[in-house]
Amino acid sequence: MSSTPHTIAPGEHALDHGYAHHPGGIIRWITTTNHKDIGTMYLWFSFTMFIVGGLMAMTIRAELFKPGLQIVNPEFFNSLTTLHGLIMIFGALMPGAVGFANWMIPMQIGAPDMAFARMNNWSFWLLPPAALLLILSLFVPGGAAAGGWTLYPPLTVQAGMGMDLTIFAIHIMGASSIMGSINIITTILNLRAPGMTLHGSLRPICCSP
Amino acid sequence: MKNRTGPGVVARLLRTAIALSVAVPGLAFADYEWNFQPPVSSMAVQIVGLHAYIFWICVAIFVGVFGVMFYALYRHRKSVGHQAVQFHENTLVEIVWTIIPFLILLFMAYPATKTVLAMHDTSAPDMTIKVTGYQWKWGYDYLQEGFGFYSNLATPLAQIENREPKGEHYLLEVDNPLVVPINAKVRVLVTAGDVIHSWWMPSFGVKQDAIPGFVRDTWFRADKVGIYRGQCAELCGKEHGFMPIVVEVKSKEDYAKWVDEHKSKLAAAADDPNKTWSLNDLVARGHTIFDGNCAACHQTTGAGNPALGAPALVGDKVVLGPKEHQIDVVLNGQNNGKMPPWKHLSDVDVAAVISYTRNSWGNKADQNVVQPAEVKTARK
Repeated sequence: MSSTPHTIAPGEHALDHGYAHHPGGIIRWITTTNHKDIGTMYLWFSFTMFIVGGLMAMTIRAELFKPGLQIVNPEFFNSLTTLHGLIMIFGALMPGAVGFANWMIPMQIGAPDMAFARMNNWSFWLLPPAALLLILSLFVPGGAAAGGWTLYPPLTVQAGMGMDLTIFAIHIMGASSIMGSINIITTILNLRAPGMTLHGSLRPICCSP
Repeated sequence: MKNRTGPGVVARLLRTAIALSVAVPGLAFADYEWNFQPPVSSMAVQIVGLHAYIFWICVAIFVGVFGVMFYALYRHRKSVGHQAVQFHENTLVEIVWTIIPFLILLFMAYPATKTVLAMHDTSAPDMTIKVTGYQWKWGYDYLQEGFGFYSNLATPLAQIENREPKGEHYLLEVDNPLVVPINAKVRVLVTAGDVIHSWWMPSFGVKQDAIPGFVRDTWFRADKVGIYRGQCAELCGKEHGFMPIVVEVKSKEDYAKWVDEHKSKLAAAADDPNKTWSLNDLVARGHTIFDGNCAACHQTTGAGNPALGAPALVGDKVVLGPKEHQIDVVLNGQNNGKMPPWKHLSDVDVAAVISYTRNSWGNKADQNVVQPAEVKTARK
């Protein structure tokens, strides 16, 4: 192939396959299959959502600080409580758990990476669009879902397109969380280092998610 | 010496903890803002008692578990040179720590089950009242007496919008309270006309979800004359916080008097179904109906609320168009109940409120009068 012949030492061959040439910048994060990178993204996403959901909670509390209507009107208040619940559960708690699992489980059980490294990338990258849909729903005509995070019909049926966006967002987040958990379970079942028992890797400290 | 200070300190801590946990709920109970409302029915007494009973079991577990833990940590600390005991499996200990939680559970489950069963025992009532939740008010029907009415928030808007100082019963006052006799077992049938509500009277120990399409029942027997207040306890839309429940418990004589007065008042106010109304009478009546039912979304000015999907009624196509269509919209609702059906309003009320919208805020509809008879025909 090359015009300059040279000898290849045994083992050097492997280094030639470009594993060391990672893309930089944003492409690194979009294409990464590294469990630590993905775990980091999960945790930052979770933290961001925690702040967004927390701002909503603070607004709710500020409104309730005194009787009477001060800061927000009742329908927007209901949207805040609804989105606060959804964002904290689907945006902060679940991604937070998967984020920690991504970072730690492979290291704790001696696995090189998560079982499905590419699916891992996808299960994270489903989250930002879902979060965008949820937050976008605050700005559509009719306002965001305001029926509480339990979304009981028939109250939810009265809502406008904010509810449609919410339903779509919850489905995407649900898909993301199912993919995340399949990955965690498969990793623990199949990728333990030799000598690591299932019992050993299921100790609470290791896999609390 | 060092070894002997341990239990002494722990005992003192334990005594402080017990003293605190005795004192704190005692204090809290004196100031009802931090505890249950004073119970006025046997059911509520039972619930408050059950709560206290479970609370003290929790305190005992807390003190027991943390007491043993802190004692063990302190007594066996490294600085006194304690050596860990090395043993595995102890059948006696395992049996004990299985039986103790089992007993605790049993002692909690038995009274709890008894209370829940008592809550659901609606047999042999002295009277039955049907409660219907609407967005956003309560409807009460006295099934034996054969009359009913709606119970709307009585707090003026000016207080809610901070233009006036708040009254004593801010957001906990209504125009027509539910009136019941003392010491009578009242069976309450709870349902809803639009979305899920919940009828909650803390001082009676009653909370029952009001679910459209279902009738659930509960009961209470109030044992003290007075006025008691509760709220809707299931998020039901924008005015969820503005549909309180007020129950007035009267003596048997006062209650009988109230029923008579109410009946004669109703008879006097009863509408002759065949009467042809004048436009002025309809509009005047419609004004009241509109402000009490429609203004929550469409505003008293008819300007609507786009955020809620409530269109402005000023210059609205439906309001200015053929009256048959508007009657249909008001009776049956539209847009998946975003405009709820109002068929629980009487023919006269529906006719009046439609006539009002057709003659107010600059609206001048060609067909400007709707008579109750037309509404009656339109009902299916």
